[in-house]
Amino acid sequence: MHEQMKVLFIIKMCSVHSFDPILHIFFFMLSSPTSTVADNDSFYGWACPGKGQPLEWRQLPLKTFQDDDVEIKITHCGICATDLHVMNSDWGPTDYPCVLGHEIAGIVTKVGADISRLKVGDRVGIGAHCDSCHQCKECKNDQENLCRNGTTRTYTGHWSNGDKIYGGFGTKWRGKEHFVFKIPDNISNELAASYFCGGIATYAPLKKYGVTKGSRVGVIGLGGLGHFAVQWAKAMGAEVVVFSSSDKKREDAKALGADDYIVSSATTAFQENNCTLSHIIMCTSFGIEFDWSPYLSLMEPNGIFILTTAPGSFLEGIPASIMLHRQITIVGAAVGSPKQIRDMLTFASEKNVKPWIQKYPMEKIEDVILNVKGGKARFRIVLEV
Amino acid sequence: MSSENTFHGWACSGKDQPLEWRELPLKKFEDDDLEIRVTHCGICGSDIYALDNLWGGTDYPCCVGHEIAGVVTKIGYNVTEFSVGDRVGIGAQCDSCGDCDECNNDKENICRKGVTTTFGSHWKCGTKTYGGYADKWRGNKRFVFKIPDGLSNEEAASFFCAGVTTYWPLKNHGVTKGSHVGVIAVGGLGHFAILWAKAFGAHVTVFSSSERKREDAKQLGADNFVVSKDKEAMKAQVNTLSHIICTSYNEGFDWIDYLYALVPNGVFIMAAVPDLPLSNIPGRVLVFRQISVVGTAIGSPKTIREMLEFAVATGVRPWYKKYPMEKASEAVQAVRDGKPRYRFVLEQN
Repeated sequence: MHEQMKVLFIIKMCSVHSFDPILHIFFFMLSSPTSTVADNDSFYGWACPGKGQPLEWRQLPLKTFQDDDVEIKITHCGICATDLHVMNSDWGPTDYPCVLGHEIAGIVTKVGADISRLKVGDRVGIGAHCDSCHQCKECKNDQENLCRNGTTRTYTGHWSNGDKIYGGFGTKWRGKEHFVFKIPDNISNELAASYFCGGIATYAPLKKYGVTKGSRVGVIGLGGLGHFAVQWAKAMGAEVVVFSSSDKKREDAKALGADDYIVSSATTAFQENNCTLSHIIMCTSFGIEFDWSPYLSLMEPNGIFILTTAPGSFLEGIPASIMLHRQITIVGAAVGSPKQIRDMLTFASEKNVKPWIQKYPMEKIEDVILNVKGGKARFRIVLEV
Repeated sequence: MSSENTFHGWACSGKDQPLEWRELPLKKFEDDDLEIRVTHCGICGSDIYALDNLWGGTDYPCCVGHEIAGVVTKIGYNVTEFSVGDRVGIGAQCDSCGDCDECNNDKENICRKGVTTTFGSHWKCGTKTYGGYADKWRGNKRFVFKIPDGLSNEEAASFFCAGVTTYWPLKNHGVTKGSHVGVIAVGGLGHFAILWAKAFGAHVTVFSSSERKREDAKQLGADNFVVSKDKEAMKAQVNTLSHIICTSYNEGFDWIDYLYALVPNGVFIMAAVPDLPLSNIPGRVLVFRQISVVGTAIGSPKTIREMLEFAVATGVRPWYKKYPMEKASEAVQAVRDGKPRYRFVLEQN
């Protein structure tokens, strides 16, 4: 407990017995939310007080500073569809008030006693996971994102010490160094932010499932994730075909490097592309109405269909015959581990893969959320503090 | 009696029609072909699906059977790999394009121009393909396999479909010592899956809809047996399996318990051949645990040869019962009734 707080506590205890109202008022003023004592251990952020309610700019507590923690001054935070889903309790009840944002970029302002990798002044980022058990097989094998005792998300839940977790739509963030990553010198903070969720969610499975020169990758959905997927696959040497529900993004797809663009209703194009894709990466949300058959028909034998988004309900109507005859794999991808995130940053830095961002001041968060909901982002919205 | 270019086999002329022992045409004898006298033919679930038109599109009249064992009686001009008198077998694939990436890389079972199936398909020369519920078979040498000395014809037959259909994906997806394999359902495929997984050195947990096959599973070598309706027992399997091989898929299949039984990055192999689409898969579980659901297609000629050698080396043998070829109808009905423990093999005299 802070020394000044201890003194105040003693004064308060004395004042209880003598009931001195002046001392009470003095104590109250010193411990009020605007005091500098509380500022060191708190941050300001856009909090969602409840489902459907407008965001409020609030002062909230940072986690208790521990020896393996770092603290950062946030400079930028990207918006991911997940943020909207969690604010809206779409995937289960959210513990309100919540502060979302898990594509965080900032500058280290404080490091714990046990910290050796990062130092004050480093430009760093944090993504969707901020802790794990470090004991299970996955954690011990560079797969902390699959921790079997439950991953800790950057925007919900509690730290192992019990403190509530808040995300990056705010001024500061404090958490475990293990899940904080140095941003390469040739990438600015505003560009870096989006890598930490949208970037890694697509990089990790494309790399893991062997996308390389000679691969032909279908990207379904050209949005935050999809625009990253196109660039990663091209940088890995592959050909890329973008699938979209309309013609609107054809020019953008070309500018991103895509070799072809097929509108989902174009039956002939699907037939012409039968058995041509080594990989498909699903980069948009979808529901039970998704028609698997035309997409699986595009896959070569041993083709791999990657799911990066967590669909609301069930996968339905997957035609068994083609799955078997072409030995197709349908596999899920859960963002990436610290090791994969570091690999990605090195790759992005070398290959000059950069997101297309639209920057807005943090105060405009309500407006930009509407843009994200309306699918208007081209292709990632980043808030700047 | 069959003539030089015909054979006799159990033919079905339409859905729900009885099998009739009929004369049917053999394919034109070409330089790469060989002909066999059928000695045995295993009955596969696929045979029933085709006879009963459960996948739709059965090309009647059909003569089914793709777990064929026999003796070579005639070889074509280009056939040097086999001699008359060799004991050989044929499985579910009898041809492929021979020209695509897959065919050129020992992956004929996923030929991108489409696999020619041992029954229900057409040879390149145009004749319909017919299977092994018959006295003879004639076809391309590329998909005929010598039966090793350590296996009799009656033992060998079932390997050519059920055997390879389970051997290949377990091998392909890295099942080895230290793996923990879940086998869903104990039947023709399932019992082979248990035997293979054990032979690879894995730990095996069997999932079955009732207690009935617990003793059999144990005798087959399974380490653990779980009744799938027992929710408590299923919960105890969470995060225990590296692989699951599913040999039975029907309406109402409950994916969630199996997706949790797999460890993160686990592999769910669909070895059954469902007659309905895969549905009811909880997508978020697949994503958050990075689970793969994979399809598998029999096995290539290279794989089949390897499997036979492995079977001889490890002693893997199917559990089968013989029926005389004349009793094919009775045997087929018994398969429909779920009677095999775990394969019926027709024997030609």
